[in-house]
Amino acid sequence: METSRALFIPVILGTARMGRMSLHAARLVTEELSKCAGVETDLIDIANLPLPTNDAGEAIKQADFSAKMSKADALVVVSPEYNHGYSGLLKHVLDSCLKEYIHKAVGIVGVSAGPFGGTRVIQNLLPVMRELGLVTIFWDANFSSVQKVFTEEGGLLGDSYIRRIDKFLKELIWMAKTLRHGREQISLT
Amino acid sequence: MGAVANPDKMICSHCKVEMNHHCDKMVYNVDAHDAGKTDPSMGGIIEEFHTCPKCGGGASRHA
Repeated sequence: METSRALFIPVILGTARMGRMSLHAARLVTEELSKCAGVETDLIDIANLPLPTNDAGEAIKQADFSAKMSKADALVVVSPEYNHGYSGLLKHVLDSCLKEYIHKAVGIVGVSAGPFGGTRVIQNLLPVMRELGLVTIFWDANFSSVQKVFTEEGGLLGDSYIRRIDKFLKELIWMAKTLRHGREQISLT
Repeated sequence: MGAVANPDKMICSHCKVEMNHHCDKMVYNVDAHDAGKTDPSMGGIIEEFHTCPKCGGGASRHA
């Protein structure tokens, strides 16, 4: 088995809304991922993906995003909670790929201005992830009252999130390694 | 005598080695060009997913 390849775990920022605080959470998770040995990462901002809106699904697959999903061993999806749900643009982006996701791990980061840390958007994303062929981990990262977690410039105001993100990423990396082994070595038949 | 390639295996276009078939997934494709490919006993199209053990690249095909 090839073991020298680094894991590639990109972070998808799932909102294009102006003034989004999820950007700070996504940058923090990307920074923490970049410190993990044997892991490469990248922050993918869906606001920068040139997907058309006059069609949907794999018909509008964007080459660069597709290549990153193909290369990925796991994903982190950072999603704010808008009216208990995820942004329509995030679903539009995720639906543009399928084979790229199969048997890969995903961890979800929920972000909210209120006290629940995006728990409802995470619950709503779980069945979507499952149908896309992704394997969800059981650790989430929840940023509640996010306006109190970061400064306007994105500086983290407390250390407690670092420890929680560390637990989240350890589980994600374990699942990414396990699923890579399964994809490459364990036959369905 | 050289090894005979298994016709059931996909070959990695990059590494030229046999790929591992690790997943079958039902897809409910509504595109007109796929309409005739639906397996009536399953209600959709079975898509096979394969991964290269050398480079990790993936590929898929209809079952």
